[in-house]
Amino acid sequence: MSEKDSDAEITLRLGAAAGDGIQSAGEMIMKVLSRSGMHVTTYNGNQSLIRGGHVWFHVHASTKKIYSLGYGIDFLIPLTQLSYDQHFEKLNQGGAVIYDPVAVKIHDLDPKVMQISVPLADIALKYDKRPIMKNTVALGSLCAAIGVDINVLSKAIQDQFGRKEPAVAENNIKAAMDGYEMVKKQTRPLKNIQYNYSVRRPAMTADYALALGAVAAGCRFYAAYPMSPASPIVHWMASHAKKLGITVFLGEDEISVMNATIGASYAGARAMCATSGGGFALMQEAIGEAAMTETPVVVVDVMRAGPSTGLPTKTSQGDLNMMLGISQDDFPRVILAPRNPEESFYTAPRAFNLAERYQVPVIILLDFAIGDGGYSTVDNLNFAFEIDRGKLLSTPPPAYTNGYWFKRFAITDDNISPRSIPGTPDMMFVAKTDEHDEWGHDLSDVLAGLKEYLPIRRRMHEKRMKKLEEIKKEMKLPEIYGPSGADISIITWGSSSNAVREALHELHKKGVSVNSFEFSDIYPMQEDEVRKILSTAGIMVDVEVNYSAQFAKLLKREAGVEINNFFLKYDGEPIYPEEVEKHILATRKEVHAIA
Amino acid sequence: MPLLNPKPFESDTRADWCPGCGDFGVLAALKDALQKSGRQPHEVVVVSGIGCSSNLPGYIRTYGFHGLHGRPVPVAVGIKNANPKLLVIATAGDGDEYGIGFNHVVHAARRNDDIKLIVMNNEIYGLTTGQLSPTSKLGQKTKTSPDGSIIYPLKPLPTILGAGGTFIARTFSGDPKHMSWVIQEAIKHRGFALVDAISPCVTWHNIYDEVKKLFYRLEDRGYKPDDENEAYKAMNAQDGIPIGIFYRREDKQSFQERLAEINGGRWAADNVKSLGSEIAQSLVQEML
Repeated sequence: MSEKDSDAEITLRLGAAAGDGIQSAGEMIMKVLSRSGMHVTTYNGNQSLIRGGHVWFHVHASTKKIYSLGYGIDFLIPLTQLSYDQHFEKLNQGGAVIYDPVAVKIHDLDPKVMQISVPLADIALKYDKRPIMKNTVALGSLCAAIGVDINVLSKAIQDQFGRKEPAVAENNIKAAMDGYEMVKKQTRPLKNIQYNYSVRRPAMTADYALALGAVAAGCRFYAAYPMSPASPIVHWMASHAKKLGITVFLGEDEISVMNATIGASYAGARAMCATSGGGFALMQEAIGEAAMTETPVVVVDVMRAGPSTGLPTKTSQGDLNMMLGISQDDFPRVILAPRNPEESFYTAPRAFNLAERYQVPVIILLDFAIGDGGYSTVDNLNFAFEIDRGKLLSTPPPAYTNGYWFKRFAITDDNISPRSIPGTPDMMFVAKTDEHDEWGHDLSDVLAGLKEYLPIRRRMHEKRMKKLEEIKKEMKLPEIYGPSGADISIITWGSSSNAVREALHELHKKGVSVNSFEFSDIYPMQEDEVRKILSTAGIMVDVEVNYSAQFAKLLKREAGVEINNFFLKYDGEPIYPEEVEKHILATRKEVHAIA
Repeated sequence: MPLLNPKPFESDTRADWCPGCGDFGVLAALKDALQKSGRQPHEVVVVSGIGCSSNLPGYIRTYGFHGLHGRPVPVAVGIKNANPKLLVIATAGDGDEYGIGFNHVVHAARRNDDIKLIVMNNEIYGLTTGQLSPTSKLGQKTKTSPDGSIIYPLKPLPTILGAGGTFIARTFSGDPKHMSWVIQEAIKHRGFALVDAISPCVTWHNIYDEVKKLFYRLEDRGYKPDDENEAYKAMNAQDGIPIGIFYRREDKQSFQERLAEINGGRWAADNVKSLGSEIAQSLVQEML
C-alpha cells in the first residue's frame, strides 16, 4: 500500500449506478468501521439524478484521527463496468478489486492489486427475485478482505432495515454472510488492523452536526427551501421537530425563508435558515434588512459548484466573494467557515452568541464535501454551551423611553443598543429598513438631507459598522500545523484544510520543510494579527476550491498579504491530500531551481 | 402607563402622507379596531413593506417592523410562528402585496397563517411618483403608460380565494366605520385574513369620487359570506364596487394550530434554551 502505514488505514470506494443503493451501502460500511473504533471520513460522489448514471461512495478510515479522504483506493468495489473504468487507476498497490465477473471486465490493472472475484448477483438472487442485494454481498466480501468482524456488519444491516419487515434484514444478513465466506476461502485479510470493538464513534455530516449544534444552542426556529446540499439540515430538523419542539418553516422561496427567519428572531427566537449559493443569492436583500434593523440571524450557505445552477451535487468554496459583498452598501456581517463536522457543531452556538451579542447577521459557510457529501466521526461532543443573548432587556431603563417608544437604536459606548422583543410592555419600537434615528424614527422621508440630520445618519451608519471592530477581537486566528519557520507555508480555509493537514504528514515524511495556516474564522479579520502571523510564513501557497483564489484576495485586501503561488481546484471534486502533496513537491523543486 | 392612556395606540409621530390621502382613513380605522380588540400595544406587531402606505408602523403605537418592498408577509409569518400569542398585522400597498410580493400572499393564504393583511390598494405606485401597479385599470394613463395601460389588472380577491383564503374582504377608506368593522372581524378570524382597502391616491390617481359613486355594502344586500361560489360571483360583480366580507370560514385550522400539533406548543421565542444532557446524548446515539 505505497508508503502508507497499511495497518492503520483503509481507503475504499464503492461504485454503481444511482438507485443501486450505494449510499446506504456506503453508510453501512462507514458504520462498520466507526463501530470498530476507527476514525472515519467519507465522500459521496453522487449525481443530480435518482436512477442510472454513476455514483460512488468513498470511505477513509484510520486508527488515528483523520478528516480527509486519504490516499488513493485500497479496495474498489465496482458494481458496474463504468465504476471500474472510472476508478481503477487510483487503486493502491497491495489493495484489491472485489467484483462480479459477469458485470465487470478487469483491464489494465496494476499486477500488485489483487483481484477478488465474487458472483455478487448470483448470490443476491438466492434471496430475492431481483439482484438488489448484490451491494450487501459486496459488503460482506469486503469485511472479509479488511478483516473486520462480520457481526458488526450484521448489526448495521439490522439497523438499516430494521423498520422493514424482518425478512428484509434477515435475507440481507444471509447475503452478506455468503459474500464474507466466499472471500474468506480465497484470501486472508489484506489488512491487519487492530479493530477496537469497544469504541463506537458517532459519525455525522457537517449539515447534521450544525443542526445538532444549533438546536443545542437554543435554536427552535428553522426555515428552509429545499436545495442541495443544504437539505440534510431541514431533513434533520423536520425529523426531530416533534421530539425537540422545533418550528420548521418550509417557505415558498428563499426570500420568504430569510424574511421569516428575521421575523422569528425579531420576535425573540434563535432563528436559523440554510441554503446553497443560488438560494443565498435570493436572500441577500433581506440580509441587509437584518443588518439595518440590527436583528440577529444565523444563515448557512452549504456551497456547491456554480455559477448559476452549476453542479448541484459537487463541491466548491466559490461563494466567499458573495458573502463579502452581500447586497447594497456597507453593513457588518460575520463569516465563519468550520473545517469539518465536529467544528461545525461548535460553530453553531458561537454563531448565535455572536449574532445576538452584536445584533448582526452571521454567515456559516459549509460546502458539499463536508456538508452533504461527507461524514466524519466526531469525538465526544460537549453540550455545555453558554447561551449569551447580549443586551436583551425586559424592562426599559428610564433614559430609554419617552412614554411612547423605546430607544431601540440608542448610541452607546460599544455601539450595541439594548434590545427588546415584542410582547414586552413599554418597550415598543419600529425596526426600520429605512435609515432611522435612535428611536427608530424614519430619516428617509421628511428629515432626509436636513442639516441637523446629516450627523445622525452618519452616526447611525458608523454605529453599525463599528461593531466590526469589537467582533474582530472574538475572531480566531489561523491554526498552525507543522514546524515554525518552514520553507513553504500553505494558506487554506474551511474544508480545504482537511486535505492539507493530511498532506503535511506525508510531506514531512519526505523531509519537506512545510507548515500550514488553516483559517476557519474568515471575516471580520484581525488584520494586524494576521499580518504578523503570516510574516513568519515561508513561501506561501494558497489552497482553496475556487477559480479566482477568493480567500487569498481577501487576505490581500484586509491584511495586505500577497500570495503568488496557488493550488486552486474547481472541477467539482474535493481536494485530495495527494494533490496538495504533488503541488508542494513541485513548488519545492521550483524554489530549489531558483536558489 | 398604557392602561391609564385612553388612546394607547396613539403615536407621537405624525403621518407624512399627502393631505387627503386614503391611508389616513386606514390608520384611523386600524387604531379604532385595535382599541376595540382589547389588545395592549405591546401585544401587537404591525409589519409593513415599502411605499407610502408602508410608512404606517410608527404612526401607530405598537411594535413595528418596516421591512423590505414586498416582504411584510414572510416577516409577519416568521413573527407569528415564533410567538403566536402576538397579534400580527401586515399593512402594505398593492405594489408590495399584489406585485413584487404576491407569491407570499398566495402561500400565506394556502397555509392559513394567522396573520391579518391590510392592502392599501390605490391602483398606482405612489411613492415612486405614479407608475402602473398590478391593479391599475386597462387604459389607465400613468407615467409608464402615457398612452393608457395595455395590461389587464390582477384580480387579487378571487385569486386568494382560489389559493385557499379563509377570510377575504374589501373596504373603503371613504367609509371609516365599515373599515374598522372589517378589520375587527379580520382580527377575530381564525387564520389568514386579506383586507383589500381601497385607499385612493389623491396625487397620482384620485378615484375617490368614482368609488364613492359606485360602492355598495354587501351586508346591506343581505349577502352571506359562507359560500365559495357566491363569493366568486360577488367579487366579479359588474354593477358597482362591492365592499364587505366576501368569504369567511372558521372551520379550517390555522397554520399555527397545526404547527402546535408538531412542536407541542413549545414556541421558539419562549424556548431559547439548551438541551438536557439526556436528550443531547440520545441525539448523538442516533448517529452512532
